[in-house]
Amino acid sequence: MAEFKTFDEKGNEINVKKEDFSLIVRNKKIHDVEFESKPTTFAKDAFKRFCKNKSSVVGAIIIGILIVLSIFVPIISPHDIKTPSPDIIRLPGKLFNAGSGFWDGTQKIKHVVYDVDSEAPAEYKKNAVIKILNSETTTVNAANKYANGGVLLIVNNQDRNTAIKYFHNFYTIDINQNDNYKLNVSLSDQDGLNGNKLGEYRVLLTFDDKSIELKGWSRDYSDFEIDLSKVLKDNDLVRVSARIRFELGPEYNEDGSIRLSYIGINHATITSSNTSESVINNLKEVSITDANETILCFKDDNGMFPRGYWQGTVSKELYGATITYVDFIYDWYEAKLGMTTKVIGKTTLDDYIKLKYCEYDYSIGASSFKVLNAKKCPITEVLDQKNNSKDDIYTITVTVENYKYKGYTHMPRFLFGTDANGYDMVKLCFNGLRTSLVLSLCASAVCFIFGLCWGSISGYFGGNVDLFMERFCDILGGIPWIVMMTLAIFYLGQNIVTFGLALCLTGWMGTAARTRTQFYRFKGREYILASRTLGSSDARLIFKHILPNAMGTIITSSVLMIPSTIFSEATLTYLNLLSLDTTTFGTILANNKSELSSHPILILFPAAIISLIMISFNLFGNGLRDAFNPSLKGSE
Amino acid sequence: MLKYVLKRIGLAIVTAFIILSLSFILIKSLPYSKPLGTNDQKYSYYLKEVNLGFVVDLPNETSGYGELLFSITTDKISHYFYQRPIFDQYFSWLKNIVTRWDWGQSTYILPSNPAGPIIAQKLPASIRINILSVIVSVPLGILLGIIAALKKNTKTDHIISTTIMIFISIPSFVLITVLMIIFCYNLGWLPTQWPASSAPQIDRIKGYILPVICLSFGSVCGYARFTRAELCEVMESDYLLLARTKGLTRRQAIIRHALRNAMVPIIPSILAEFIGVLGGSMILENLYGIPGIGSLYIKAFSSQDYNVLFVDMALFTIIGLLAGVLLDISYGFIDPRIRMGAKK
Repeated sequence: MAEFKTFDEKGNEINVKKEDFSLIVRNKKIHDVEFESKPTTFAKDAFKRFCKNKSSVVGAIIIGILIVLSIFVPIISPHDIKTPSPDIIRLPGKLFNAGSGFWDGTQKIKHVVYDVDSEAPAEYKKNAVIKILNSETTTVNAANKYANGGVLLIVNNQDRNTAIKYFHNFYTIDINQNDNYKLNVSLSDQDGLNGNKLGEYRVLLTFDDKSIELKGWSRDYSDFEIDLSKVLKDNDLVRVSARIRFELGPEYNEDGSIRLSYIGINHATITSSNTSESVINNLKEVSITDANETILCFKDDNGMFPRGYWQGTVSKELYGATITYVDFIYDWYEAKLGMTTKVIGKTTLDDYIKLKYCEYDYSIGASSFKVLNAKKCPITEVLDQKNNSKDDIYTITVTVENYKYKGYTHMPRFLFGTDANGYDMVKLCFNGLRTSLVLSLCASAVCFIFGLCWGSISGYFGGNVDLFMERFCDILGGIPWIVMMTLAIFYLGQNIVTFGLALCLTGWMGTAARTRTQFYRFKGREYILASRTLGSSDARLIFKHILPNAMGTIITSSVLMIPSTIFSEATLTYLNLLSLDTTTFGTILANNKSELSSHPILILFPAAIISLIMISFNLFGNGLRDAFNPSLKGSE
Repeated sequence: MLKYVLKRIGLAIVTAFIILSLSFILIKSLPYSKPLGTNDQKYSYYLKEVNLGFVVDLPNETSGYGELLFSITTDKISHYFYQRPIFDQYFSWLKNIVTRWDWGQSTYILPSNPAGPIIAQKLPASIRINILSVIVSVPLGILLGIIAALKKNTKTDHIISTTIMIFISIPSFVLITVLMIIFCYNLGWLPTQWPASSAPQIDRIKGYILPVICLSFGSVCGYARFTRAELCEVMESDYLLLARTKGLTRRQAIIRHALRNAMVPIIPSILAEFIGVLGGSMILENLYGIPGIGSLYIKAFSSQDYNVLFVDMALFTIIGLLAGVLLDISYGFIDPRIRMGAKK
């Protein structure tokens, strides 16, 4: 065939001759050209596909962050998680400055009695109260430490024999003509406690065995003032030591029986123009200015006669005292780590003196204290010094800035608060996470290696070996894990190493089963047969040909062993089946279980971390599984 | 088929026998757990143990039997009680179970009472909660799975799948604790503990809510994930394509062909779960104070009441094996082509 005939697009005939062709390559043999692009390996391909799965990548990143945190947080964090510090227990979490309103270590405390004397809610520190939100004033009909005001009720109860009851101040008062002594009485005309009619009363001035009537029997409850000096003058007395005495007459029912009657004293004060201190104090003692206080003084049973002590043959009651409840925002950090009064020993103070933080002279006492290094010295003031014996033993009461006293340079911030021992939750959790991770990594590694060997032998050799090994697994796998754990705990005891061993008892079976399946899958392949025909040993077949192919799948499915180990440990410890001496996740959760209702954050924070770990490991594991699954290759 | 079923059951019995025997020997080798109570109570306890064949009663002290468990002198006759050798105990134990169905007596929980009835007492509470949770979770889980599969790769599917993923990952005790904090302590809607049997009816009904929710969460997620995976696979199969080309609507094809086939592996797992309900949930029972066999297990463990613990262990083991057998067999019933564990 020397000529071709063909047509161009316009239909013209073209003749192609043999000479028009020439060989391009005459002297060379044609080979396969090498790829210019790089070939991708199985691992690279898997990695590429793994990266496409965004949720898995996120999971992997979170795992990475948690691992880094668990390594570095326990190293960097300055907080102490070895020795309990009772004065900083259960602090709320703090990230921002106190008073910013969010995550600032404060707590809104509701309905607490307000102590007027200390100008703070009762039992709370004034300087730590950030803001009082609202206050609500109510009246109570009983004397209360934190109440004030009210009406002192003198009750004449049903006793016919001593029908007239009296009530007088315990300490006598010296009254004279010149100093213008006056008695001011304000009575309550209200119905009072139980709506009984008010009684008849009179007021007397009693001294020695005599008495002068200051105000005769009356039912007039309006305020009155009596000039005592004038009364003395009228009675030709210069100076007496006297008592003021209220007398309450009996009240009769229509049938002649005595019924309950009373008068209510708002206040009864005695004033004088004499301004000497002793007179003023004495007058203060016998005046009823605050009914609540007077009643409380009656209740003092220490054997002391406190200020304002009044007595008589009547029963004393109180009604209408006001008491204030407040809702407020409280800064726990300031309360627990701010200014505190503390009793310290000489050695502690000596240390500070040695460090040149302050100066102090034991022979002079409190006044000799002087701060030299205000930035570092925890003590701001010495209040009192007691020398217990001559042996140089001092107890010194001081005001300290507690955070400096505890060794912090700044007010510390516990991100997630502190637990019942005063340990920082963040450090504690990451410390626990580190232990748990190390434990689970070790246990998983042991399980993985053992499972790999077991599965390889069982899968590669097959036959009777496989049958025997499978039955063994059946029996071991048939034991519920809780039973296995129970037996292991009884036999191996409760510590972290034996617990790890116990985990390995059954943990390897998953890997073994997977390895066995993979071996069955690959051992019949042609390339294995080829290698075997060429005289490969069993070891070479296993390690060179089968394992590398199976490895991806086996590793992926074994990754989930790590979180499941953490989970098992946490569950067992949380159920109190296991009590480890090391801080792990489970022990943190178990220790804080009792705080569930009062401080849920102590449970929620570690629970959140463990959930995060589980979620990210699952995401990561799923992504890895999809990436290594050859049947999914190219399906996206 | 019958032969296969019998073989599976037979194998399960053998496995159970081996596991129980091993556990028995291991537990009996632990230091003897002595009963509490007065000397008379102890005496009657040890007499029963002698009857059961675990302990020997000797008139005088010997050194051949190891540690002296208890000694007492009644009616001028001395009794010295010693543990019998482990294998003697093992055979007595087998004999007791076979002839009298006697599993030994409790040492701590209800001293000197037979252990079997103690477990039986605790079973109803566990079963009730678990059956309720199965009833709630099966339809819900399957429904969610079907929705996710039918709307595959849409927003609905992503939301369902992600939620499932998260709830499967969260440890159950965390979930229970968080739910307890929210609903029992903060909102106060539900009782904080399992109500006593003397509590009013309404409280007792309320008491079921939290346990059932907690138990359902896990299985709802499990079923939903399983159903979604199965249905997705079926949806892409050739016969469904054929059904559609034949002229069936999507709805017809899904209900008549896809769902039926997708249910094949799901129904056995539901059956297995029904057996599993007997096991109760140890974590939930312990945290919520439910008097079921799970909390009994922990109580028996911490008080070292080995006999009760052992019966509980046996129950868990048998339930586990039974569930496995049921799972395998039901595959065969539902889809006769499948023979789990059959030869090539």
